[in-house]
Amino acid sequence: MADQNPQHGRRQHFHRGRRPDRRGDQRRGPGPAQSQEQAVREHREHVDVEQIMREIRSRISQRHGIELTTQQIQELAARRLEAILDPRTVKPSLLEQIRRSTSTPVDAPATPEATYTFEDTTIYETHRGALRFFRRLLNPLLKLFFNPNPISSALSAQAKLNQAAALREAERDRRQAEWNALHYEILQRLVLEIARTSIDAQQLSMRVEALSAKVEFAERRARSIEGTLQQVRPAPRHESGPQPPQIQQPPRDSASAEATTSPGAPESAPSEGGRRRRRRRRGRRPQGFTPEGAPMGVAPGAAVTEARGPEGGDAPDVDDVDDEDGGPDNGDETDAFDAAPSADAEAAPVQSEVVASAVEEIRSEEAPVHSEPVPSAADTSADTQTEPPAAEVPESSRPPDPFGD
Amino acid sequence: MKLVFVVQRYGAEINGGGELHARYVAERLAAHADVRVLTTCARDYVTWRNEWPPGEDRVNGIPVERFAVAHERNLIDFRERSDRIFRDPHSVQEEFRWLDSQGPTSPTLIKRLARVADECDFVVLFSIRYGPAFYGARFAASKAVLVPTAEREASLGLSILQPVFRGVRAIMYNTFEERAMITALSSNEHVPGVVVGVGSQIPDTVDVERARRTFGLDNPYIIYVGRIDSNKGCADLFRHFTEYTDGASRPLDLVLIGTPVLPIPSHPRIKHLGFVADRDKFDAIAGAELLVMPSPYESLSMVALEAWALGRPVLASARCDVLVGQCVRSNAGLYYEDAREFAAALDRILADPALAATLGRNGRAFYARHYSWPVIERKYLDMFEQLRGEPAEYGMEPIPGWLARRTTTVPPAAVVVNALPTGPVVGTERSESR
Repeated sequence: MADQNPQHGRRQHFHRGRRPDRRGDQRRGPGPAQSQEQAVREHREHVDVEQIMREIRSRISQRHGIELTTQQIQELAARRLEAILDPRTVKPSLLEQIRRSTSTPVDAPATPEATYTFEDTTIYETHRGALRFFRRLLNPLLKLFFNPNPISSALSAQAKLNQAAALREAERDRRQAEWNALHYEILQRLVLEIARTSIDAQQLSMRVEALSAKVEFAERRARSIEGTLQQVRPAPRHESGPQPPQIQQPPRDSASAEATTSPGAPESAPSEGGRRRRRRRRGRRPQGFTPEGAPMGVAPGAAVTEARGPEGGDAPDVDDVDDEDGGPDNGDETDAFDAAPSADAEAAPVQSEVVASAVEEIRSEEAPVHSEPVPSAADTSADTQTEPPAAEVPESSRPPDPFGD
Repeated sequence: MKLVFVVQRYGAEINGGGELHARYVAERLAAHADVRVLTTCARDYVTWRNEWPPGEDRVNGIPVERFAVAHERNLIDFRERSDRIFRDPHSVQEEFRWLDSQGPTSPTLIKRLARVADECDFVVLFSIRYGPAFYGARFAASKAVLVPTAEREASLGLSILQPVFRGVRAIMYNTFEERAMITALSSNEHVPGVVVGVGSQIPDTVDVERARRTFGLDNPYIIYVGRIDSNKGCADLFRHFTEYTDGASRPLDLVLIGTPVLPIPSHPRIKHLGFVADRDKFDAIAGAELLVMPSPYESLSMVALEAWALGRPVLASARCDVLVGQCVRSNAGLYYEDAREFAAALDRILADPALAATLGRNGRAFYARHYSWPVIERKYLDMFEQLRGEPAEYGMEPIPGWLARRTTTVPPAAVVVNALPTGPVVGTERSESR
């Protein structure tokens, strides 16, 4: 049988501690209640896969930075290399030649062909047989007029010199090409490594920012717990710091609170105290963070999102364990912190009952010290009068002492 | 109404996507029409060896005519021709030769089809990349209803396919992505078409405990069903899963159902069940946390539909537009591109049972809305009625002449496919389904 109790239906509308703003006949009328219930059910049924994927990818990119493939990094490096090898300063044809030389293997220099060979008989050579015959026939006659041997020797030596020079030139070209290719390769790899390193550095800096945000949150959590402890502990008479009245006066004993609070003081003092505390803590906040506590350069709420639990719409993740180990406080701690007095006061009735008893123990040990306070100007402020001495708190309103009998 | 189905293979034990699709549709439409199937004698899609005797047969009550395949596939020749037409500019004649090399080639089947086409109302042809559907569509164009089962692969870029897409009477698409791809490829807006897909034979009841007992599935598990092949993305799946389990604290197994082509890594959390009966398969899917579908090439993925029909979410590869589109349209699955997204999406579903349940419910509703048999049968019958009422105002373009066929003017098929628009088609289905 279906549960038709409107109260049950209304309870289902609570979401993360917030009530829907329904009032008057809306609460009483079953029609709107049912339709709203149906709407909520439909809302729960509705899942947007694309939205979930966007969230997942956003979380991954926040955690790991932007991932680039090797090819993308190479393309990025190639663009940087283009910028370095500016065509205005480097001859384009030379650049192209170097590129080609890197892409094609450098061939071993071919032995340059001899430009010519010169032997003793070279000057008499001809392809015509008859002419060759006459030259040989008349050769003694020619040698009668001059000696052709020095000419042959000189030309022969010159041919050998030419060949050696060509070899040297080819070898030099080969070495130069190798050096060029090597230099270009080194340059290319350097630029690639620089591109890769800069991307890594970017990712690491993002990671550092995310981690510092986490550290910051952890510190604030510790401070807020410390603050709760201090506020729960009744102020010694010699201390002048303002104490939020909500902490000192549990709500279940409002009569005694009214009786012990001086008129006019409670309105101004706590707010002043809250302002002071906010100023002081903001002063302690390290540089590089926004007033909301998010690190500079990181989207506000990015780190907050990680601290949320499953109700916040994000899946609990293995990496988020350190965030969730802090306790049941899954809300936005930054907001809770900045709203200092009231948020602490809301939390106080839950925590202070346990903590206060421990504080009582400590205070009783420290009692001799506080029994004779040194009066100061600050002690005369009205703030101290808003807090009743521990002895004045009725026995019934005291929290049970977990350590006592 | 008389219908002739043409498909490259047909048999009760054949589980290939297009063939199973054809059998399911034929068996369902047999309740509304006189259905006859023309197919080959081949059983193996790699060799196309003639394993069934040619002649009349009957499969689950459907009359089947089998025709011999002219030749088996020569793998070396096929690979060389594929390399040529996928990567290089080529001629139309080379594409015809590639089609012949791929197989199955059965001239007797086409001759028979040309005869029976006059006697039937419509010819329903499955899988355009194979000879029977391609030549069948050309020989019986005026009655051809094509079920392309086309994937985003290079063979779709063959120039000889485009006139077929423009010349058949109607096209029954599997998904909106397939429709968008074929329309962009061939500009066939004038051809009547509808996105149909195919249903499955989902049992009325499943017994998860029986599957757990039978296969010893003690831990929570995710499941993959299909051929265990690197072409199906299984290598990536193994890598992603082992990375995930190395860093995760929750016990989670990967259960594999299907024939292994790829060596399965020896890992304590990977369990291979082999080829199992349909009943066991459905039981195992129903007991899984989700079905994982890593394949980058899918024209529909019947397994994903089966998982949705059983109320299980799907985790699909984002490299497959069809799967992404199906996940988005159904709101019943997540998708991943790499190991990190795999882990994050898996965590998201496993850590949030409410989300998993909602995805499963959405999947069940999606299946019922679009892939239940009454819906599919109605779409086929409506299309036949529409085609009966309106005569074809266009015909099949003729094959180019002798010289034109031999001129190297056709761009590489892979280049053609790569130029097609990518991404899931989302808005169309949402607007149509609402």
